[in-house]
Amino acid sequence: MAVPVIMPKQGQTVESCIITKWHKKKGDTVNIGDILFSYETDKAAFDEEAKVEGTLLAIYYDEGDDVPVLSTVCVIGQEGEDISDFGPQVEEKSDAERSMAEEHKEEEIGEETDIVEAAGPIPGQELKISPRARNLAAKAGVDYRMATPTGPEGRIIERDIRRLMDSRAVATPSAMAEYLKLDEADQLVGTGIGGRITTVDVEYAKTAGIRHELAEYETAEAEPAEADYEEIKLSNIRKVIAKAMHQSLVNSAQLTLHTSFDATEILAFRRKIKEQGTRLGLGDITLNDIILYAVSRTLLNHRELNAHFLDDRMLLFKHVNLGVAVDTERGLMVPTIYSADTRSLSEISNEAKKLIESCRKGSINPDYLKGGTFTVTNLGTLGVEYFTPILNPPQTGILGVNTIVQRVRQEGDKLVTYPAMGLSLTFDHRAVDGAPAARFLQELKTNLENFSIFLAK
Amino acid sequence: MPKQIFVDPNVVRKSGWVKFKDIPINQYNKTIDEEKANFSKDDFVRIYRDMAIIREFENMLLLVKTTGEYNGIKYNYPGPAHLSIGQEASAVGQAYHLDKDDYIFGSHRSHGEIIAKGLSAIQKMSHSELLDIMENFFEGRILKVVEGKRTKREDVKQLAMDFLLYGALAEIFGKETGFNKGLGGSMHAFFTPFGIYPNNAIVGGSAGIAMGAALFKKVNQRKGIVIANIGDGSMGCGPVWEAMNMAAMDQFKYLWEEGYKGGLPIIFNFFNNQYGMGGQTSGETMGFQILARVGAGINPEQMHAERVDGFNPLAVIDAIKRKKQILLENKGPVLLDVLTYRFSGHSPSDASSYRTKEEVDAWVEQDSLIAYRKQLVDAQIATEDELDAILEQTKNMILDIYKLAVDENVSPRMNLYANPNAIGDLMFSNQRIEKMEDGECKVLIPKEDNPRVQQIKRKIRVGIQDGKPVSKARVFQLRDAIFEAVLDKFYVDPTLIAYGEDNRDWGGAFAVYRGLTESLPYHRFFNAPISEAAIVASAVGYAMSGGRVIAELMYADFMGRAGDEIFNQLAKWQAMSAGVLKMPVVLRISIGSKYGAQHSQDWTSLAAHIPGLKVVFPATPYDAKGLMNAALMGTDPVLFFESQRIYDVGELFHPEGVPEGYYEVPIGEPDIKKEGKDITILTVGATLYRVLDAAKILEEKYGMSAEIIDARSIVPFNYEKVLESVKKTGRIIVTGDACERSSHLKDFAQTIGELAFDYLDAPPVVVGARNWITPAHELEEFFFPQADWIIDAIHEKIVPLRGHVVKNNFTSNELLRLKKLGI
Repeated sequence: MAVPVIMPKQGQTVESCIITKWHKKKGDTVNIGDILFSYETDKAAFDEEAKVEGTLLAIYYDEGDDVPVLSTVCVIGQEGEDISDFGPQVEEKSDAERSMAEEHKEEEIGEETDIVEAAGPIPGQELKISPRARNLAAKAGVDYRMATPTGPEGRIIERDIRRLMDSRAVATPSAMAEYLKLDEADQLVGTGIGGRITTVDVEYAKTAGIRHELAEYETAEAEPAEADYEEIKLSNIRKVIAKAMHQSLVNSAQLTLHTSFDATEILAFRRKIKEQGTRLGLGDITLNDIILYAVSRTLLNHRELNAHFLDDRMLLFKHVNLGVAVDTERGLMVPTIYSADTRSLSEISNEAKKLIESCRKGSINPDYLKGGTFTVTNLGTLGVEYFTPILNPPQTGILGVNTIVQRVRQEGDKLVTYPAMGLSLTFDHRAVDGAPAARFLQELKTNLENFSIFLAK
Repeated sequence: MPKQIFVDPNVVRKSGWVKFKDIPINQYNKTIDEEKANFSKDDFVRIYRDMAIIREFENMLLLVKTTGEYNGIKYNYPGPAHLSIGQEASAVGQAYHLDKDDYIFGSHRSHGEIIAKGLSAIQKMSHSELLDIMENFFEGRILKVVEGKRTKREDVKQLAMDFLLYGALAEIFGKETGFNKGLGGSMHAFFTPFGIYPNNAIVGGSAGIAMGAALFKKVNQRKGIVIANIGDGSMGCGPVWEAMNMAAMDQFKYLWEEGYKGGLPIIFNFFNNQYGMGGQTSGETMGFQILARVGAGINPEQMHAERVDGFNPLAVIDAIKRKKQILLENKGPVLLDVLTYRFSGHSPSDASSYRTKEEVDAWVEQDSLIAYRKQLVDAQIATEDELDAILEQTKNMILDIYKLAVDENVSPRMNLYANPNAIGDLMFSNQRIEKMEDGECKVLIPKEDNPRVQQIKRKIRVGIQDGKPVSKARVFQLRDAIFEAVLDKFYVDPTLIAYGEDNRDWGGAFAVYRGLTESLPYHRFFNAPISEAAIVASAVGYAMSGGRVIAELMYADFMGRAGDEIFNQLAKWQAMSAGVLKMPVVLRISIGSKYGAQHSQDWTSLAAHIPGLKVVFPATPYDAKGLMNAALMGTDPVLFFESQRIYDVGELFHPEGVPEGYYEVPIGEPDIKKEGKDITILTVGATLYRVLDAAKILEEKYGMSAEIIDARSIVPFNYEKVLESVKKTGRIIVTGDACERSSHLKDFAQTIGELAFDYLDAPPVVVGARNWITPAHELEEFFFPQADWIIDAIHEKIVPLRGHVVKNNFTSNELLRLKKLGI
């Protein structure tokens, strides 16, 4: 019997994934474990392996297609089998029917909602588009109303959609129908993959309206380029980072406090672990792991820094879900060590290693890329002495870890040197005032300088 | 223009007189006592019986049509019933001496002829022959119905008579148990195992077809004669004159080889009931006064024409006996003017407003059924009681078969609910038969000795060699490709013949056939008169008799001259016979250029519109040879279009060249001539080369890569490749030299639009010829599609091309304007 291969739902909030590469062609024989296709979400890339063997009977999406999760991507079976039940038309139709049914539920008294009109141009606005262009737009999730028609007699044709895809935000398939109903849709900014507009964005636009500054941001992005530089297209992850960072700065009141602590103790501790850890079945515990451990404990006494700031309220978390900033080839990623405050140092260390590795491989489960309550970022390994990390909203704090420098200190009459490690805490002044933040730093510093005792606590 | 016939001015310019012999009118004058030497009592009585059967059969139809019942059994029959009540003596008289090897072809008014011929054949055939036929025809389906509950076959002749009458009536009523599964009907019923060939609803339509059957008998040296039963009204039809003329061509006497000499074994038998529908032929619509006179206009033998009294069966029997002898002596053709009269109207709706009651009454008084019966009684051949008994039997027999035929359970119609494709599946026979018969192929020299074959051997079978085009003189051309396929088949299929205008010594107007003359005797390859109707009709008759034929129309523009023959006859007989007949006819049709309005039209669209014809239009030597081979292997009529623009092209698409051996290009499969990704261009026929030019410009000037698909065939057509291409490119132009309006180009575009709608980035665009007359050669670039038209159409209708300046107006407004004006 033919078996459909569906696009996995990689995490709760993922609406769709983009197929980046097909490793098999229609008609190819596949064995269990063969990689069928690669795909990515906004944050990670995955390979889909065959779970049954047989012949690849049909492929419904091409490379570059944005596929709604749980849609049938391809079918594996025996040559000659009837696969007419699996085609995306069948599913799309039922999707459409489903969403229509939902719409009916939501709308109080039933005006007959025509599905064609729901997806079509704004009434009263003459818009010509070729069937091919319309289909491409639907498949890619772009709003064809924004295309500049270059076809005969003002018709939007395929190339216009392709141009639009290159230059504009697109919407996920599930967001499309609602999105097309928005009046000022062209000012909406997407937060999904590659800036795709998601249902969340649409809901946001519907309730809060469009923010003027975001429109400005769009305009700036769209400015024409000059010739004496190389233009590179932003990767999806880059676009997400760009937007997230910018929004962070725009939407919060950040400031950074710097301090340093005497790292003698933790260096010694680490040496000891290195020398004897193996015997105890411990892995390599890094300085960063030690800091993560200390932070996870210290934060519990400073709950406004282990929090989400949501304009009119704050969520103070009972556990510490620690975000760990990771530098990858694809860009910055921040996996989360859930309930770090309940884990031992060794557990934290192992978890951090695992997360970092899967980020670098691009195989991280997107559920690990969210839910953080506080973030630790480390540029110390790159020799940075101080920096001002940018908050990862709606978190209220982020700790930058710096390099170790030798400092002098007066001990009696003597000046002695000691290894000093810098810490830079950025926090949201909307949520936390300077003194409480400084107190957190102070306690953290104490804990780290007396790590052995702290660990024994 | 055979050289062996010297046109001597000294002879042809001499003065003198054309002398005519007397044409006999009703010269039969034997008494019934004198005929006793020729007929037994049984024979005399059987003649009466046969006439009575026909009368009752048609009387039944008349009652059904006019009262809705027969003997109290109701039946609604809305179809045609052209009755011949009154004409029975002429039908029975004609059939008396005919057997199953003698073919009759009829008209719309031929119920009587079918029954008479069938009864005569049954009389002459053995029980085993009859059973064999009945058991095998449609797997015994008709036999099963008439046999009913009978368990013993005591009286096979009676069973055969029931079979005949039932098969004919069920056919008339459109039942699946009819002779042609109800697909022929009243005007087309026939049954070839008894030598009854198709009747024709087109007046005079049978003349040319029967002539082709006679040609088959002569060429293949078969037993029997052929009779074309047509009416006096058909003497007004050109194709009838064409057929008579072609049957009497001098070449049969002077040029055909020994053993094949002499005119065709055919009687043009005019059942002269003196009305063509309501038009009175003698005195109103014709000038011959006595129809038999026309024979004198055809050949010196005056077609052995005579008028016979069709109200006297014995007179007709006598005439057929004498004429059949003439035909067997190879002295045909014969014209018979069988004078008769129908008491019934042209059809039941005929109010007989064109004749008086007195006239009808005067003929009824001389009704042959009464007069002949009186003769039998007077001459003491049979008693009144005996003859009454025959009438009684006849009525019972007709009632029995009527009951069967109207019964929906035993005589159902074709079930198109259960099998919606039942008729569609009969449109083509789709068989592959290498030779229609086994036997020796009559040829004059071995194939390899043929001078054209030797000349072709020196040719280069590719169009481009070392990157350079091969010169016209040295390249293997499209015309050579067709020749190779045709010549090859002449050495394989002994029944294959070819003819057309100027085919033989000239080698065809465009030198495709040059060299065939050297290989083939006259009886396989000859010049036809300038009679397109007779050329095509005879091909139809030749093929339905069992042969394979290549007929040629010199120009597509001449299709009009053969309109009925192509569209009503060639296209339809396979399906109208429910698959009994095959139609292995290749009709070569050349499309001209340079010769103006009546010699340069691409009429492929007309052909494609008519169901039942396969239509191909190769544009390369490889495809031409492969398609001709496929056409000559099949059993369906193929209209093989050629273009005079490209007879001299070499093969550009198969670098290995046109194979010397046999291969086929399947009919119905388009071919991708050039791959591309930005736009699909579907081309039909000779426009291929202009499309190549356009593609080059698109590529070089606009960076657009065109995929070129050569349709090769128009009917049938497999869209898969085209759709695949359109899915890729999203754009398509359809082009060909046919006038754009209502063309197959439009049909292609519409179908593609329907099947690939969701993939299209613009509507499918048609670039056809203008809806004008074809102008002079120098102006043709304004009439036929050109490379720049295609580019302009792309720019204006599909995707604007950067910097393109148009020369032609393909905008929507212009289209609207032209359509409004009808141009």
